[in-house]
Amino acid sequence: MIEVQPDLEVDGLTVQFGGLVAVNGVTLNAGAGSVTGLIGPNGAGKTTIFNACTGVVPCHAGSVRLGPHDLGHLSTAGRASHGLGRTFQRMELFDSMNVTENVALGPEAFLAARRPWSQLACARNQRRDIRARTKEALDRCGIAPMGRQRVGDLSTGQRRLVELARAMATPFHFLLLDEPSSGLDVVETERFGQIISRFVAETGIGILLVEHDMALVSGVCSYIYVLDFGNLIFQGPCAEVLSSETVRAAYLGSDAISEGEASQVASRA
Amino acid sequence: MSLSPSLPLTRDADGALALSRQALLKAGGVAALVAIGLLLTAAFSLGPYVVTGIADGSVYALAALGLVLTYKTSGIFNFAIGAQAAASAYVFYSLRDTAGLPWPVAALLAVALVGLVGSFLLERIAFWLTGASAAMKVVAAIALVVLLESVLTGVYGVATIQFTAFLPSRGVHLFGVTILVSQIIEFALAVGATFGLYLFFKRTRLGVSMHAVVDSPTLLALEATNPVVVRRYAWAIGSCFISVSGLLLAPALGIDVNIYLLVYIAAFGAAAVGAFSSLPITLAAAMGIGITMNVMSDKLSGQTNTVLAELYTQIPFLVLVAALLFVPKAKLITRGADAVRKLRPATTFPAPVVAMGTLVGVGLALAVPFIVEPAFVNQYTTGIGFAVVFISLGLLLWTSGQISLCQMAFAAIGASTFGHATAAGWPWLGALAVAVLVAVVAGWLAAIPSFRLSGVYLAVATFGFGLLLQNLIYPTFLMFGQSDFVNIPRPQLFGINATSDRAYYFVALVVAALCALAVVGLRRSRLGRLLRGMSDSPLALEAHGANTRLTRLYVFGAAAGIAAVGGVLIGGVTQSAGGTPTGPFGYFNSVVLLAVLAICGSQPILSPVIAGLLFEVVKIYRPFSSAWFSKYEGVFFGLGALAVALAPGMRLSFAGRRTAARDGRSPVTERTRLALPPPVRVSSPGAHP
Repeated sequence: MIEVQPDLEVDGLTVQFGGLVAVNGVTLNAGAGSVTGLIGPNGAGKTTIFNACTGVVPCHAGSVRLGPHDLGHLSTAGRASHGLGRTFQRMELFDSMNVTENVALGPEAFLAARRPWSQLACARNQRRDIRARTKEALDRCGIAPMGRQRVGDLSTGQRRLVELARAMATPFHFLLLDEPSSGLDVVETERFGQIISRFVAETGIGILLVEHDMALVSGVCSYIYVLDFGNLIFQGPCAEVLSSETVRAAYLGSDAISEGEASQVASRA
Repeated sequence: MSLSPSLPLTRDADGALALSRQALLKAGGVAALVAIGLLLTAAFSLGPYVVTGIADGSVYALAALGLVLTYKTSGIFNFAIGAQAAASAYVFYSLRDTAGLPWPVAALLAVALVGLVGSFLLERIAFWLTGASAAMKVVAAIALVVLLESVLTGVYGVATIQFTAFLPSRGVHLFGVTILVSQIIEFALAVGATFGLYLFFKRTRLGVSMHAVVDSPTLLALEATNPVVVRRYAWAIGSCFISVSGLLLAPALGIDVNIYLLVYIAAFGAAAVGAFSSLPITLAAAMGIGITMNVMSDKLSGQTNTVLAELYTQIPFLVLVAALLFVPKAKLITRGADAVRKLRPATTFPAPVVAMGTLVGVGLALAVPFIVEPAFVNQYTTGIGFAVVFISLGLLLWTSGQISLCQMAFAAIGASTFGHATAAGWPWLGALAVAVLVAVVAGWLAAIPSFRLSGVYLAVATFGFGLLLQNLIYPTFLMFGQSDFVNIPRPQLFGINATSDRAYYFVALVVAALCALAVVGLRRSRLGRLLRGMSDSPLALEAHGANTRLTRLYVFGAAAGIAAVGGVLIGGVTQSAGGTPTGPFGYFNSVVLLAVLAICGSQPILSPVIAGLLFEVVKIYRPFSSAWFSKYEGVFFGLGALAVALAPGMRLSFAGRRTAARDGRSPVTERTRLALPPPVRVSSPGAHP
């Protein structure tokens, strides 16, 4: 039976770097059991939203909630131990370790956060749990055969899969995936989409996906938010977003946005 | 990040220039501080001390400006500025006092030789360190300090050389205070250097390029400006500033490289207050340090407590540590951290090899007291004690990616606490446990900077922490006291008397083996895995829920505890311990330890054992037992550590050149060249008949 997982609710999130408003009052709701897309041109503020949600950068205003928990006052580690996991656009792997060790350290770090002394030693049942989760994640991502290879020696695509496997092995309730398919070829991206979809269907957790590959986005996302210059410019089901003039304008640089589209954005925001 | 301040002028919506509110506030604050300073100076008749303080501060400022300039353009924190300044002063002394050259010529030659030629070498070192890990950058900088200190004390001796003034020493009376012309010159040089650098960065192409090389050398290269040349100029300017400051300090201090190393911490402190970035704040901070030290020296001169009376000498260290703890983290940007060649993990040997090696090693260690001369047994025991300290340093450096330059301070805490505990009637093992516990608490304190600092900043902070302990706590009753001595008795364990040299050797060996086993166990535990993860990517660890602050507390505490055990073992050899800077617990040994460990590799146990032997035992055998070697052992340690730190960069650099050369004569290139028709010589139109 699938455990009921929480939604991620971001309300009026604003992030400033000095005088630059990188994210301007963004509100979004990413539900459990589905993949929600967050797209936009480079510099739109997608990764900054991830960083703000996970406490890597401070928020100027707004709130981040995971189910009943307000995460706003928590550190990065605190948010993770409440179940908000993420991957990074610039991959953050433990380069001196092999693939299995990398994946296993995800749930291990999660369990180490339970008590201050949990960092010192690992109970036998926890060790069993970590081993089982690691094996399942490695199999799910198809990287079990390369378990003994050092991640520093892997290709970008393989490293992406290791990072995804580590996030999947950790008992998170919601995942933020930051451009997970960059560096992957077409076949790998397609497989990647299948892995994500199956994972969501089987575990019921929600995923917020930042991605440039529109084939992947349209393949896995049920609902999409579009950002430009830190503002939410459009949101809706996949087909609606893909046919939107506003979104095209943001991506292709045209400033011809119809009045109808503008009012639609305003009413939705 | 800007090396110079922005102009206090902004353009408003109409494009008109207007003073920004923030700049006005800053200017107002500075004016208020100056006014308060002047009032206090007049009210308490502090004029002479303020004048001397400004002059001293000016010299620190010159060095600090040099430090900031080179750090921001290369990412290499030049720990060796004190040694570099001392080198200039020594050369100046040789040329003026020994060779009899007129002082202006001698000064120019000293600055040219040490400042300019030195800058070329330093720039090369910085180049080879491009992309190196923070640990290796610190190792290289520390290696330079060890190398220069050894060369200078080897050549010029350890005694302070008295040096007569060379600048005019007549006085000028101003507001009832006599100001020496030399002080005016020093002040003018510091202010001129700051203002000159400000204009240089704003107005010249090279200055703007230095801004660019700070942020992106690759982009600068794409704009057809060679970043290496730009950095070379930055190192030349910075090194010359440091050299000049060394000359200016010589008449007041005399010339002694070890004194220079300490005095130049004031420059570190000033640069830290300016977040290793702002030139005017650095200048102001250096002046502030100079003034505070001089005023406090007057006010504390009547104190009978020597620690209190000498408190003014600790101002630079206090400023350094406080600045690193309180300067906003966002301003302490680590330069050149993006393209990092991460440290390769230590080679894992197959289990049979490890088992065989351990058996042979333990067998040899057990045989030592029976095969070496009895007089040498104590030296081996000291080596074991240092091996334990090296194990603790290795745990921090290689396992968790943290840098500590205060490891001998933890050892000293262990030794002194053990001494007090045994004096209070505690048994040997109980006293050892107390020593470990106290050191663990000290380790937690030292870990606090690591919550917000990493890499070179953490190294500087721990260096400051060690110096503060040495100067403020070592002489108190808490540690070695005014007598600078605590008794470290040897054990009588389980009815066995281990007070003989041979018996004590075996006790030390067993204790060291237990420490080694503890570290092996720790590395295999959850904490060990978290430490390795933190070394690779603290962010990834946090993103999975682990509290890395707690992890840092654990590892610093564990390392301090192990170092304390090492300290007790070292003290037990002579059955006493003291805190003299030149003794085993002196701050400089913490620096040398890092260099020696770097030479010996990154194995968790094997490398520290080799380092312990290299540091303490090798010197009893020929040719290392010669006076010449003991005089210059720092040269070997320094060169060795420098080679380890630079080797990967040098290999890449030379491999790049070889590749380029090979490209020029590759079969493909050759075929392409031969296939091309010979160039057609076209005569100029006017050449036709």
